[in-house]
Amino acid sequence: MNTRAKAINLVLTVILFSACSNLGDNRAGLGANLSLLAFSNNPIDELIMGKWARSCALCHVTGVAGAPIVGATADWQTRLAQGEESLLKRVIEGYNSMPPLGYCMACEENDFRAMIGYMAGTNQ
Amino acid sequence: MKNLSRRAFLASSIKASLFATYALNAEAVAQSIRWSNWSGGQTCQPSGRYDVGSEDELAALLKNSGGPIRPIGSGHSFSPLIPTDGHLVIIDQLNGVLEYDSNTLQATLGAGSRLGDLGAQLEAIGQGMLNLPDIDRQTVAGATATGTHGTGVTLQNLSSYITWLRLLTPKGEVMDIDASDGDLFDAARVNLGALGVVTQIRMQNRETYKLKKREWTAPTEDILANFDELAATHRHFEIFPLVYSDYSLVLSIDESHEAIGQTVIVPEEVAEIGSVRQSATNAPPAERRRMLNGVFADSGITEAVDVSYKLLSNVRNGRFNEMEYSVPAEVGAECVREILKTIYDQAIDVSFPLEYRYVSGDDTWLSMAYGAEPHAAISIHRAAREDYRPYFDIIEPIFWKYGGRPHWGKVHSLTNKKLAQLYPRFNDFMGIRESLDPEGRMLNAHLRSLFNA
Repeated sequence: MNTRAKAINLVLTVILFSACSNLGDNRAGLGANLSLLAFSNNPIDELIMGKWARSCALCHVTGVAGAPIVGATADWQTRLAQGEESLLKRVIEGYNSMPPLGYCMACEENDFRAMIGYMAGTNQ
Repeated sequence: MKNLSRRAFLASSIKASLFATYALNAEAVAQSIRWSNWSGGQTCQPSGRYDVGSEDELAALLKNSGGPIRPIGSGHSFSPLIPTDGHLVIIDQLNGVLEYDSNTLQATLGAGSRLGDLGAQLEAIGQGMLNLPDIDRQTVAGATATGTHGTGVTLQNLSSYITWLRLLTPKGEVMDIDASDGDLFDAARVNLGALGVVTQIRMQNRETYKLKKREWTAPTEDILANFDELAATHRHFEIFPLVYSDYSLVLSIDESHEAIGQTVIVPEEVAEIGSVRQSATNAPPAERRRMLNGVFADSGITEAVDVSYKLLSNVRNGRFNEMEYSVPAEVGAECVREILKTIYDQAIDVSFPLEYRYVSGDDTWLSMAYGAEPHAAISIHRAAREDYRPYFDIIEPIFWKYGGRPHWGKVHSLTNKKLAQLYPRFNDFMGIRESLDPEGRMLNAHLRSLFNA
């Protein structure tokens, strides 16, 4: 495999389209493996969990596209410091790479609040 | 066919035996949040969103509710296929590999499956999809309904690899459709969500395979002059002409038996090239071209080898809006040259590259590559935060000049009369649509303009 240092074309791909390779993106069987996540003791409604698995999890499990990873509490605290309403607004309207509604077409505001709490580890 | 996740499907079907009450319950989930597509360029305030958990729930909804309905996948269409003040039907619970056949290498998929999730699931049963589009977040239903395609002069759009599908009509009736249904099959494989709601799709796949991707930069004219030969040589071959320069990013992908691996990105390179591009952005066109040519000429080759689905699709970090047309392959190079010249001559403020590739012809009526011959697909992009209309309005007539057919999921401004001239079976599709949905429940304003309904 060529490991030439001046890999200008791969750089171009990244810069021009902000592409993320799927290499290493292991989302196989995600829905079935959610119970393996460290947050099994972090309360979230089963119905909402299903929605989360079909939407937010696309990016927030692997951190693809710069998404803060579920359970990375330090990353989430930084964001929560801006206020939950601010985070909610970003989810609904889209923010940077995250599309409006974060791929959850069926979510209500309360769903999003629960999902944020789940990922940040702040649900009681 | 072997069952994989039938139990889950059956469980949700049993739950949905409360037909009459479901519609009432569904009304209760009407929401106040506005819907937006991926780029944010399309929005609407639906009267309700229905997150259906089974075909039975969906059938009950269709039978027992009134008013307009639009089915939604991942919201990746840039065109206004979805916006409605009626009901949005969300199908992403209908997902996964439902059945598969190791002899025919076919798999039945929940129509709400996201392409990016299917790769590993299919790999686990020894199958791989024959081709994939660039972005992997779309659902199978959304990608096929819009005629979405990948790259490859011998490879057809995704819809062409459908061998069977299940359609729930606007009246909630189940229709299982395959090639034996003739015209209905050719219409239903690219359906714009206008014939009903597709819940299951059986795809012709192949055995799992690995690919090797190579990327480099080269003078655009050199590549265009030899494009037919290069496209025929590689399983996938495309270029991203870099605006305000004489270069393109070139991408080839071929089958491989090499070990999985990839070229290492050097972070300093990212910073250096990004810096030059940023500096060039505000320069006059001639100076901009000089600066960018200097960067793009000094290229190496990057390579990656991996399982097919990990190389064919990407996650796009930056959101954008896109216009894509197909033109006959023999005029594709001329069309892309005229677009590049127009951008330069009119100093259009854009930094996204174009995308240029061949797609095999096919027999799905509303495919942008319908017919026996391959088509050249050409895309232009604009960042989601920017107003795409001035740029797209200038370029779109160039596509028309070369006989372009629009991609249904991407921005275009064509309506019924012109579309009927471009798509030989367009009027036949309208006839089938009218027969399945005489009340026009599946239509919104955009679709009414397409179908003159």
